[in-house]
Amino acid sequence: MTQTQTRSPQQPRPAPAPASTLLGRLSAQNTGLVLAWLLGVAMLVLYLALFAARKSALPGNFELTSTVNNTVPLIFAALGQSFAVLTSGLDLSVGGVMDVSNSLAASQMGTSPGGILLWTVLILLFGAATGLVNGLLVAYGRLQPILVTLGTLAILQGLALKVLPQPGGTTPPALTKALADPDAPYGLILVALACLIWFVARRTSFGMWIYAVGNDRVAARARGVPVRRTLVLAYVTSGTFASAAGIMLAATTTGGDAASGDVFTLTSIAAVVIGGVSLFGGRGSGIGAVLGAFVLTLLINVLFFASVDPLYEPFYEGLFLVLAAAATTLAGYWLRRGQIGRGLR
Amino acid sequence: MSTVEHPERGGFALLSRMKPDRRLGLYALAAAIVVFVVGQLIQPGFASASGVKTVLVVASFVGLVAAGQTLVVLIGGIDLSVPWMMNSMAVLLTTAAEGSSLRAAWVVPVVLVAGALLGAVNGLGVAVLAVPAVVMTLGMNGVLQGLTLGLTGGFTCASCGSSAPPVLAGAVNGSVLGIPGQLIIVLLVAVVMTVLLSWTSFGRRIYATGTNPRASALAGVNVRALTIALYALSGLFAALAGILLTAYGGKATLGMGDPYLFQSIAAVVIGGVSILGGRGHYLGALAGSVTLTALISVLLAKDMPDYGRDMVYGVAVLGIALLYGRSERDEA
Amino acid sequence: MSPTAPRAAGSSTEAESRPAIEAELVDKHYGPVQALRQASFDALPGEVHALVGENGAGKSTLIKLLCGVARPDGGVLRIGGEVTTLGGPSEAAAHGIVTAFQELTLLPFLSVAENLLLGREPRGAAGLIRRRALNERAGEVLAECGVDSIDPGAVVETLPLAQRQIVEVVRAVSQRPKVLLLDEPTSSLAEHEVEWLFDLVRTMCRTGTCVVFTSHRWREINALADRITVFRNGTHVSTSRALDEDEAVRLMTGQVLTHRRRELPEPSQRVLLGVSGLTAGRVVDLGFTARQGEIVGIGGLEGQGQRDLFLALFGARHHTGQVSVDGNPVPLRSPKDAIRAGIALVPEDRKGEGLFLRMSIRENLTLPILPRIAARGLLRSSAERAAARGMVDQLAIGVRDQDQPVGTLSGGNQQKVLLGRWLLTGARVVLLYDVTRGVDLATKRDIYDRVVELAEQGRTVLFYSSETEEVAQMSHRVLVMREGRIAAELTGEQITAEGIVRAAVRDLGHDTNPARPVDPAGTSATASTAAASTGEGAADQ
Repeated sequence: MTQTQTRSPQQPRPAPAPASTLLGRLSAQNTGLVLAWLLGVAMLVLYLALFAARKSALPGNFELTSTVNNTVPLIFAALGQSFAVLTSGLDLSVGGVMDVSNSLAASQMGTSPGGILLWTVLILLFGAATGLVNGLLVAYGRLQPILVTLGTLAILQGLALKVLPQPGGTTPPALTKALADPDAPYGLILVALACLIWFVARRTSFGMWIYAVGNDRVAARARGVPVRRTLVLAYVTSGTFASAAGIMLAATTTGGDAASGDVFTLTSIAAVVIGGVSLFGGRGSGIGAVLGAFVLTLLINVLFFASVDPLYEPFYEGLFLVLAAAATTLAGYWLRRGQIGRGLR
Repeated sequence: MSTVEHPERGGFALLSRMKPDRRLGLYALAAAIVVFVVGQLIQPGFASASGVKTVLVVASFVGLVAAGQTLVVLIGGIDLSVPWMMNSMAVLLTTAAEGSSLRAAWVVPVVLVAGALLGAVNGLGVAVLAVPAVVMTLGMNGVLQGLTLGLTGGFTCASCGSSAPPVLAGAVNGSVLGIPGQLIIVLLVAVVMTVLLSWTSFGRRIYATGTNPRASALAGVNVRALTIALYALSGLFAALAGILLTAYGGKATLGMGDPYLFQSIAAVVIGGVSILGGRGHYLGALAGSVTLTALISVLLAKDMPDYGRDMVYGVAVLGIALLYGRSERDEA
Repeated sequence: MSPTAPRAAGSSTEAESRPAIEAELVDKHYGPVQALRQASFDALPGEVHALVGENGAGKSTLIKLLCGVARPDGGVLRIGGEVTTLGGPSEAAAHGIVTAFQELTLLPFLSVAENLLLGREPRGAAGLIRRRALNERAGEVLAECGVDSIDPGAVVETLPLAQRQIVEVVRAVSQRPKVLLLDEPTSSLAEHEVEWLFDLVRTMCRTGTCVVFTSHRWREINALADRITVFRNGTHVSTSRALDEDEAVRLMTGQVLTHRRRELPEPSQRVLLGVSGLTAGRVVDLGFTARQGEIVGIGGLEGQGQRDLFLALFGARHHTGQVSVDGNPVPLRSPKDAIRAGIALVPEDRKGEGLFLRMSIRENLTLPILPRIAARGLLRSSAERAAARGMVDQLAIGVRDQDQPVGTLSGGNQQKVLLGRWLLTGARVVLLYDVTRGVDLATKRDIYDRVVELAEQGRTVLFYSSETEEVAQMSHRVLVMREGRIAAELTGEQITAEGIVRAAVRDLGHDTNPARPVDPAGTSATASTAAASTGEGAADQ
């Protein structure tokens, strides 16, 4: 019998909550991330094995550093993309921002440190401004992200062509030395920086809000989450990261090309998906995006060392992308099947 | 409670009684006409019979791809494999037919079936493997790109440069009663699409699934089969566009399909088809293709540089979307 | 009828007669729809105030205004006597107003802890959230509310609906509000969980919290509320300390609807539905038969496999075992098979799983029967319109334009359209899964009438409801499910709400023969079931 002091639910209890085992927590929230780690490790092993088979030695500092340097642009692009995707949106303009950033870096930076620094800041501001436009149109204009960013992508591609009509220009060597020096581990520092930014962001209110909005926009609003502000900030973040990625891209090349960023729209999405971030929003980790970027870059290297005709590269990338996405979903279903107390809805 | 509105007299009343989807399609048509009028003012001769004909023919290719895109967008999906679906099927056509009209007789059906099958694979991925449409079709695009480039050695194979079979080129470029063959073909497609969407149970199921997939499934609709069928049709239309484009231009070229992804999505949006699914009609997308193409033509006529075209596309899509592509307010 | 349950001491004393929250002559419209018209409402500190009315009467809108999710177009809002405008839910929270919503505001892929403490997370250096402290604090919060069976690290999506509702309530309560608004808080809770909630509410009232809740469950309203306010058509109709169910219906609808115990028609002897060895999800080796014209109620606690059973019988869930209709075994690999076999399923979530709100009444009605009215795939407009017209008339759906979008209809009419769809398929076996959930009292009674009609027409009805009284009222026979099996079968006199609940919670271990009927004068009557029987008895005058 209940007494007024007793506050626990009466006998009999409802179905006991699923024990919060490591597996349980992993499966529900982080399947994607776990898979991304597995894929990353597998890809790394494969790369090392093939490299060793081809060159009878393990990759040295130079090769490893170069690989990391080449991955850095994609890492930043993918990390930015994950902010948009987590809010159940999409940022197709990433490629366009990188185009413009790359073109500006190649044509405007000059060689003086002051000029480089100034234009770095300006380019980052430009990325943020693009993100602001995207975010405002999505949040206040109430347009679908895929449409908005498709539109801004086109505008940016045109803008990039205006800035740099022909491939050319010169990236200041100082930039390359600072960001993409093959003899120094700055690339690794940048990767660590990216991860740190994610780690911090995840633990801010903004980080929680992003997940809230991606989970259920209406519920988030009822819980006092500033939905529109969060959306705008998410796209501003994505745009800023994209422009940073564009600068990193410039650092890895000697000249500029107004179309060199185009491919990153799709590869950033691919990296995000491989990294286990759900395109439906609310689930996944930015670290997954970083891992996804590595997996994709290693894949290219693996294909190279496996002597695959480079013309076939898109075939393998496409296939890989689809299989990775399917694997994440299927693994999620399979793991959740085993849990008791599945919600009715 | 219900009120039966008494039909008022006049066009406005007719307009307001129309279903919103139809209305948007009508706007798209109006927009196209406006663009032609403006074009004629800016550049006399733009809206002449031959000027209009040229624009319509160019727009018809977009319209063809937009047919497939409309179908998958209606159920809330998207087809990003259009560029290399078109390209790979075009290459398949030229390398298999090698310029022979006789061979074309069996090559064309084979290519169309191939396109449909590849599209069906897209549908399988989306419906059965639960891969998001963006990812699946993106992956398929890459797969087809890799296969095409790899198998043709980067387009350096012997038969890569074959011309389109003359019978096809003739059909597309010739005219009947002054109407270009290409337009007649696309007009037929328009008729088929209209009948399909508005007057068949299949079409009704498409709209139901796009509106509420769960309720559709519980009402006996085989959502999986429907999804696969629609992606197959998208592949079919892309293949058809690839064939006709090759016939129009005379050869298959690298990257010929690239512009059509963006244009088909833009046309669909401009035509009032909701990117979320369940709303819109193909005729709107068709009108959208015309508007878009006319707009570009006007600008090209004024010597706008290449980069301007991209920017205009972007602004046009954003502008139209702001006009009537907005979602409802969140406020309860 | 006097309130039977103990009231919290200290409610509505003279010293605290100023309302904790008050709406005075507020208006609110959404487009052309006037949701609230010159509506007034007040609730005192330390009291439990029930807000009742039909769907569309304005209860939810009022709650939204009171908690800042929506803003009034006219009228005044007072908090603690002071005129206030609330710009949003966070401002309301700052004033001490917290809401637990019926459409749960839990974020499914976040953990219980993250959901509970959103916006109040424990922070460490540099203002960053400490994740381990988050889980610990959440555990404390749950324990304070007397909940010890939910793991704070669990992802919300994996919890059963009842537990999610509990988390939603705990979330609201843990903010120690001055005013607690509960929108249909018990709709997914089992009887003993409801009792937990009552205890919690009473405890809060003792400390001066004002609790406002909406519900359609009469027994609970009477057991818990100090005052009951009725709304109709967006405006206040009455406030009283107690309210009899019939009187309430009269106030809510403006009509007199007598509550009489339903006379169920006599079912035939002919078996129409046969199920054997059915295994699907939680359901294990289940078998039963049902006759023509019979209403078989499915009872039991939530989550014992009822949903899996219904979905499996409709082919919407993978299963093994055999199902036969009219003696013939039927394959049920998909809903299409089920429809062909003459089985229909009306789900509880009519907006999410049933209707296409943007599409017309006609299109909603005819979707499953398109193959029958189309000629080789081509729709025949006249045949379709005739079929739709016929059903609209038969069910008295009061509209003249079958092209009207279903989303513009009232909740009751929407439910009729859904039912009409299945009647059009000529279904002989109708599976009704919690079809009165979230439906107001007057429409519920209308639905009961329709269900009886179905039986009169010789159809077999399988009826599941989360409200045990309904199952008791509507069934010829009740099959009580527990852990995926039939724990008991009740017939005739045994069919009471109390009997069903007892059979549902009784340990299977004691009784080796589950088919033996439950003893109605059984032992271990708990407070909740005692209240249930009292409620039932009072209604049965």
